Amino acid sequence: MNENIFTNLYNKVLGFFRQTDKEENAKDIACNRLRVVLMQDRTNLTPELMERMRKELIELLSKYVEMDKEALELNLEQDGDQMALMLSIPVLRARNEEEIEAELAKEDAEKEEVQEASDDADTEHADEETGDKDTVAVTEEEDEAVQEDDKSADVKVTAKEENLSPDDTEKSKK
Amino acid sequence: MQTCIKPEPSVLDEKDKKGETMSGRVIVITSGKGGVGKTTTNANIGTALAKAGNKVVMIDTDLGLRNLDLLLGLENRIVYTIVDVVEERCKLKQALVKDKKNPNLCLLAAAQTRDKTAVTEEQLKNICEELKKDFDFILVDCPAGIEQGFQNAVAGASEAIVVTTPEMSAVRDADRIIGLLESKEEIKSYKLLINRVRPNLIKSNDMMSVEDVVEILSAPLIGIIPEDTGIITSTNKGEPIVNDEKSLAGKAYQNVAKRITGEDVPFLNLEEDTGVMAKVKKFFSGLMGKEK
Repeated sequence: MNENIFTNLYNKVLGFFRQTDKEENAKDIACNRLRVVLMQDRTNLTPELMERMRKELIELLSKYVEMDKEALELNLEQDGDQMALMLSIPVLRARNEEEIEAELAKEDAEKEEVQEASDDADTEHADEETGDKDTVAVTEEEDEAVQEDDKSADVKVTAKEENLSPDDTEKSKK
Repeated sequence: MQTCIKPEPSVLDEKDKKGETMSGRVIVITSGKGGVGKTTTNANIGTALAKAGNKVVMIDTDLGLRNLDLLLGLENRIVYTIVDVVEERCKLKQALVKDKKNPNLCLLAAAQTRDKTAVTEEQLKNICEELKKDFDFILVDCPAGIEQGFQNAVAGASEAIVVTTPEMSAVRDADRIIGLLESKEEIKSYKLLINRVRPNLIKSNDMMSVEDVVEILSAPLIGIIPEDTGIITSTNKGEPIVNDEKSLAGKAYQNVAKRITGEDVPFLNLEEDTGVMAKVKKFFSGLMGKEK
C-alpha cells in the first residue's frame, strides 16, 4: 500500500520534470507540420517528387564536385513572400579539370546514344557545347517535376540513373 | 500562381483617402473552414461600421444554412430573402431587413429552404452593384467550403477578409482560400483576421501565435480577436458583442471596423495582466495621464 503511494509520487514527479524537459512544444510542432503541408499544397510537390529531385540534383552536381551524397539537403522554404528552393551541399573535395571533363565527355556520349534511340527528340540539345550543360539539366529537372508526359526528358533521366547510380534505381520509371 | 502574394496590401486604405465612399465597398468575409467565426465577424464588423455612421448592408449567401439573422436577432423579421429578389417576387429594397437598433444597418437574408444553386454568380454581382449605389459597405457572408457557394459570394466583391483561427486546419484552409482569391481578378485586396486567439495557450507555447500565423500565410493582418465566452451569450441574445463596451472581443471588432475605414489603430495587447496589482497600477497610470 505504502509502496504504491511512493511509486506513484515518484512517477508523478518524474513525469512533471519530463514534461518541462521535452524539446519541442505543441506550437512548434504545429508550425513545422503546417509549413511542410502548405509547401506541398502550394507547389504540388509530394515528398516522393522532392526525393526524386534530390537524387537528380546529386547526379547533376556530382559531375563537378565530390560531395557527401547523404548529407545533401533539399528543402522548400518560405522567406517572406518568396518561396525558395534551398539546397545545401557539403562539398568533400573539388574535382580537378580532367575528372570534370571526363564526366562531361561521358555524359555527352550518353546523350548522343539517347538522341539516336529516340530519333525525333529535340535537336537543339545535341549540338550544344559543354558549357551549356548546366542549363540543359535544369530544364530537364523542371520538366520532370511539373509534367510527366515529356517523353524525351524521361528517357534521358532513366538512362542516367541506370549508369550512374545503380543502387538508386528502385524509384526510377521502369 | 497560388504562391505569390499581391504587392498592394493597402488598397483598403487608399480608397478612403480618395474619398470614394459614395460608391459602396463590397467586402466578402470568407474562411474556407467552417466554424471559425465568419458570421460572427460579419455581424460585428457590420454593426460597428453602422454605429460609426456608415450605411451598411449585410448579405447572407449561405443558402440553406442561414445564421446571420440569428446573430443579429432579426430572425422573426424576415419576409423576403435573396432568392425572392433573384426570382423577382419582390424588389431588392423590400427584401432588406432593418436592424432593431441601428437604422443604418440592413440584412439581406439567405433562403433557408433552397440550396446554393438558387442564385448564380452573375445575379449576386448584380445585387452588389445595385446596393453599391445606396450603401457605404456591403458585407458578404460567405459559406464554408470552396464550391459554388464560395464562388457566388466572391463574385461581386472587390475586397476580402479571410477569417482564421490559430489552428492548423483553419490556417491550411485559409491558405487555400488566399490562393483562390489571388486567382480572382475582381479581388483587389485581402486581409487576414485571426479569431479565437487564446493568449494563455500562446504564452505556454501550446498554440500558434498571431505572428506564426501571419508569417506562415504571409498576408496582411486586419484584426486579432481574443477568445471570449461573451460571444456565446451575445449570440444567444441576438446582440453582436460590439454593443458590449466592456468586452475585449467587442473592442477588437470595433478596431477592425476602424481599420477598414482607414484609421490606424494599434492591435490590442491581449496578454494584459488582469491581476489586482495590475489594475491598481493601471488606475494610477491613468491618473498620471490625465494630469498631463
